Amino acid sequence: MNLAQYAIVAVPILMVCSLVLLIGFGWRGTQIALSIQYLAVFWLVTLSWPIGMAAVKLIVGLMASAVLATTQGSASPGETAAVPLSGRVFRTLTAVLVWIVIFSVSPVIMSMTNVSQATSLGCLLLMSMGLLQMGMNQQPARVVIGLLTFLAGFEILYASLEVSVLVAGLLAAINLALALVGAYLTAAPTMEIDQ
Amino acid sequence: MNAPLLWIGLPIVFSVVLLFIMRRAALATAVAASLCLFLALLAWQTPIDSLIQIGPLSFKISSEIVILGRRFVLDNGHRALLTLIYALGFAWFFGASVAKPGRLFWPVGMGMIALLVAAQAVQPFLYAALLIEMAVLLSIPMLNPPGRPVGLGALRYLIFQTLALPFILLAGWAASAIETNPNNASLLVQAAVLFGLGFAFWLAVFPFNTWVPLLTGEAHPYASGFVLSFLPGVALFMALGFLDSFAWLRDNQNLPAIFQLVSTIMVVIGGLGAAFQKDLKRAFGYAVILESGFSVLALGLRTTIGLQAFATALLPRFFALLLFSFSLAIFEQSGAPTTLDGIKGSLRRLPFASVSLLTAYFSLGGLPLLAEFPIRQALIEAVAGQSLPLLVWILISSLSFWGGGFRLLAIMASNQQPDWKIGEKPLPAFLLSFGMLAILFIGLLPSVFLPGMLDLIQVYTHLK
Repeated sequence: MNLAQYAIVAVPILMVCSLVLLIGFGWRGTQIALSIQYLAVFWLVTLSWPIGMAAVKLIVGLMASAVLATTQGSASPGETAAVPLSGRVFRTLTAVLVWIVIFSVSPVIMSMTNVSQATSLGCLLLMSMGLLQMGMNQQPARVVIGLLTFLAGFEILYASLEVSVLVAGLLAAINLALALVGAYLTAAPTMEIDQ
Repeated sequence: MNAPLLWIGLPIVFSVVLLFIMRRAALATAVAASLCLFLALLAWQTPIDSLIQIGPLSFKISSEIVILGRRFVLDNGHRALLTLIYALGFAWFFGASVAKPGRLFWPVGMGMIALLVAAQAVQPFLYAALLIEMAVLLSIPMLNPPGRPVGLGALRYLIFQTLALPFILLAGWAASAIETNPNNASLLVQAAVLFGLGFAFWLAVFPFNTWVPLLTGEAHPYASGFVLSFLPGVALFMALGFLDSFAWLRDNQNLPAIFQLVSTIMVVIGGLGAAFQKDLKRAFGYAVILESGFSVLALGLRTTIGLQAFATALLPRFFALLLFSFSLAIFEQSGAPTTLDGIKGSLRRLPFASVSLLTAYFSLGGLPLLAEFPIRQALIEAVAGQSLPLLVWILISSLSFWGGGFRLLAIMASNQQPDWKIGEKPLPAFLLSFGMLAILFIGLLPSVFLPGMLDLIQVYTHLK
């Protein structure tokens, strides 16, 4: 099966996953959505990079997701509390508005960077949903998930512009370090006091 | 021997070593400060890519190393910067034994310095954005140590610094696309906008500056001072690198006006913000914004005087920020809150810390006789020659900043406590006195201390 031929399928997957991350379905749902999101990112990156190199994104994403999951036991109740129904409705409506904007500006990105429609949509979708996630949350783990989502969107675009092993390695390191920072910030308030 | 291994690899190794000895503050201080002093002296005295003979021993420090297909280059043009960075590292690590910013300060600080030096060395230099981001991520445990709730400032710092990364990398891609297609006007605009946004995030340019006072208000002043001394400094050198490398950006007719407008907004926000703050730690954040604003203004003048002002301001800036944050740390240790109420009468309780704080504050404000005055005067003269409205705003901001300083002086000198008492221990008092004298001597004898800083900009040959 040619993955590139069906790459546009990755876009609705990204929409669903990023929406689940935004509205928050508890930590299990979040971890599953984040993992599937990275699978879709991997799919879109294979349009530009060899599968072996693109697999780095998938593995790093899954590892980042796992790292974030490890600290949920020590998270404060506010960190894990589900978003109320009214909040979910509001967030869904906001996401829909953002999607409308994305579908209208996607051709501009395509003409600027000569990338495919799937790449352009995937990139814009994740970057804007990541921004929404960061703007609507103050819990460290959720903010870090927003940052990871934003960076994943950027990486889809950047993969089609630049093929460099060093950049791939450093971006992977940054993703992992971000996840570690998220895990640290979640656990920090309950850790032994410094000094 | 290899320069990148010496000035990047060795500190990284030592940052790992410091992780194991960080609970023993004296040892960690000795190791970190000694290494920084050694590397600063080495950068100052040792030529790179030349044969060095010491008695019967002869060796050469090569300037380049290749990692995963990318070059890391530290040549003779970088020696001045390496000397400055590691000399400052020595000062910060030495002071940390007294300021007590937390045990993670030494390993994290050393790792940050190594990554920021790597950011200066990597070729093509656009990849520096990735290394700076790693330094930002590394700094988080230092700013938000274990056992403390996570503050909004640390989160915003993380967000804004991370958002810079994609914009800088995309600006780099657009810049390389322009080289193959120089007549594409829309590509020029896109690259300039991406570049501008990236640096706006890095340098906390308005409206992306809200995190600075939040962060300084929450974090240990010495830790936040360290981060806010090194990160904007390196980002400004990155901006110089961009301007030097790309003629289309350098020759852009609108760029000086944009730089001047943005920097004036930063200066005004910094000056007014500091003047009306009730918390000294937050005022410190606004002082950093003011300083960054003046640095951007110096670059925006696009004159030799502007460039020289940018380079020579680095030493007084670093000294003042170090002394400011060190004084704040001493205030915190005394148990009094760093608010206007908390510092009432502090001149009689903590005379060295109080006078040091005022000296650093007024130096950042460009008060005559202090370190920043000669540079600030030259800068303001240059602005006066280009735009009167900008000059008026800058003067309003500077006067507001001074007003805030005089208010601090009045509160510190208020007679709450009848008797004088030196609350500082001998070592902190000595370090504070040394910092004050350094700022005073730089201000009194600028022609002795500052010309050496011009070596920092020798590598940027297109900007002269």
